[in-house]
Amino acid sequence: MLASPNAAVSCVLRVKDSRPVEQRDPGWKLFGKVPPREGPIKDPKRIQKEYETKSGRAGPGNPTSPRHSVRKNLDFEPLSTTALILEDRPANLPAKPAEEAQKHRQQYEEMVAQAKKRELKEAQKRKKQLEDRCKLEESIGTAAQIWNQEILPNWSTTCTSRRVRDLWWQGIPPSVRGKVWSLAVGNELNITHELYSICLARAKEKWSTTPAPSLETEAEDAGSSNRESSLELIKLDISRTFPQLCIFQQGGPYHDVLHSILGAYTCYRPDVGYVQGMSFIAAVLILNLDTADAFIAFANLLNKPCQMAFFRVDHSLMLTYFAAFEVFFEENLPKLFAHFQKNNLTPDIYLIDWIFTLYSKSLPLDLACRVWDVFCRDNEEFLFRTGLGLLRLYQDVLTTMDFIHMAQFLTRLPELIPAEQLFQHIAAIHMTSRNRKWAQEYEALFISHHLASAQRMYHTLPHTEIPVTTQTQLRFEILCCQHSF
Amino acid sequence: MAGGSVFECKEYLFKVLVIGELGVGKTSIIKRYVHQLFSQHYRATIGVDFALKVINWDSKTLVRLQLWDIAGQERFGNMTRVYYKEAVGAFVVFDVTRGSTFEAVSKWKHDLDSKVKLANGNPIPSVLLANKCDQKKESSNNTALMDNFCKETGFLGWFETSAKDNINVDEAARFLVENILANDKGLPYEESNGDRIKLDQETVAAESKSGCC
Repeated sequence: MLASPNAAVSCVLRVKDSRPVEQRDPGWKLFGKVPPREGPIKDPKRIQKEYETKSGRAGPGNPTSPRHSVRKNLDFEPLSTTALILEDRPANLPAKPAEEAQKHRQQYEEMVAQAKKRELKEAQKRKKQLEDRCKLEESIGTAAQIWNQEILPNWSTTCTSRRVRDLWWQGIPPSVRGKVWSLAVGNELNITHELYSICLARAKEKWSTTPAPSLETEAEDAGSSNRESSLELIKLDISRTFPQLCIFQQGGPYHDVLHSILGAYTCYRPDVGYVQGMSFIAAVLILNLDTADAFIAFANLLNKPCQMAFFRVDHSLMLTYFAAFEVFFEENLPKLFAHFQKNNLTPDIYLIDWIFTLYSKSLPLDLACRVWDVFCRDNEEFLFRTGLGLLRLYQDVLTTMDFIHMAQFLTRLPELIPAEQLFQHIAAIHMTSRNRKWAQEYEALFISHHLASAQRMYHTLPHTEIPVTTQTQLRFEILCCQHSF
Repeated sequence: MAGGSVFECKEYLFKVLVIGELGVGKTSIIKRYVHQLFSQHYRATIGVDFALKVINWDSKTLVRLQLWDIAGQERFGNMTRVYYKEAVGAFVVFDVTRGSTFEAVSKWKHDLDSKVKLANGNPIPSVLLANKCDQKKESSNNTALMDNFCKETGFLGWFETSAKDNINVDEAARFLVENILANDKGLPYEESNGDRIKLDQETVAAESKSGCC
């Protein structure tokens, strides 16, 4: 079970990359699809050889040809068919005039030279890609071994060591990713597999008692009142979760699993219910963990203060997070920050999507998982740091754009984002401002927001209108806030 | 483009909202309108998405529509209302195959009118879109009913649309822009919004420029 979801994703990812490897067959197949019917097929190598001896060009006989030696190094030989161009005209037709033949030969040579250049370039690219892939796979393999044999068996002692932190930053190997996420997120809520089963059973009960959504345009009075928590929303969103993977859609292998986890959560936390963005988070967990463990990680992840603030859509808390983000934005990227301010581009425009889906919608899935790796360990600070890393990575292009182009760019990031580069930019973001770390900055902003509103209320309303208990409460809050500074 | 009369060309920038319940096809309508594309596989919108449509309205008028595609879940309400600021037009979308999404139209319209107004205090022009009409089961004629509903709720008009089959999307947009322009008469973009985005011809040339005109 654990392996198969991983396999599904890595399969999807691999399809993209595997092509160049398979296409490494030598030869230039311009006319290669349909071989000539009569006569034995001429080996392109032989044709080329014939041609090169005929024309007296630098060929295999000339070892000083620089291109040739380069090709040798690459273990690759670009070849072309010369059959159509160089064969003499059939006997029943007049022979080519000499200059025409010369011209054709010249044109042909130019074509071959160009084709060779192109092929050489492609071959070099393919070779580089292959080498990178091999290196990557090898390092993943070694890392998996280290995680399995050294780190995981001694988790409590190793997890905070410098070496593990470095390895962690480089990305957790997919085979142990789910395990590490679970350990890092923890289970503060003490959710058991049994509790998951109970919540799921309750959800299923609800589904069976709720009539299937009618497809007619008739009035549905019952539906409108609790439209929010309705299971219809979950159904609508499931098919719109990673649609390109084709595994969560109706009939796909993980459709029911995703449905179950989201449904169970609405029974576990009816006060939170289903909120858009959750389907992406649950889906990423499903791809890395068994169903019940995915549910446990899901509930615990959402229970983190920042996630709770967002999924409860607590406006003032969200604004506090945005304000803290802007403090570090200005500190780290003052030029870009000024450009954003000039264009009225506020964090609520791009951060909502990033934070609600933990980047799983906006970044390529493998890269999103790497962000999750560190997020599971460093909490929301890393989410905002990633956001700043992205802004830093694209700083140059963003400063040339106006509002709408920036907004479009940030809500639809490029499909290919260089992972290593992004992590270098994230690493370059300092999460200290005026000697305050992220958590301190957030707390300070939280308190000043809170203090301001408490003071406003205490001073502006006539005291007779505030119940005595509230008065005391407000005075107490103001005192607390002032003291914590 | 407006031929040699580039310098006489009036350029407008309009912010238009696309709102309505979750999954009614807001993103699909925008993709159809701006990119002439349709896919069954759009992802749920979280927060807000953006699109830009440049219209050569006539030989003297260039209109840039900033389309704000706003997430449909009611819960985001407080958070997404800030997006309404400075909008000059809106589409409210519902799904003809889901009655509850039509019931919510009044709520969206009311919300819109309470959060954003034109400079003269009037509600911003808005058009109702009855989307997914290609999937409509019965062909009952409720034109009169809908006309009446629009009058009561303050919509300029309504269109049966299908992003999938490309029905009425351009027409609806054209209708809305006509009304926005009528409101905006004598207030060309440069004068009214001088300090905002400066247009440069290169960017304009790079945008999609098909026209409904």
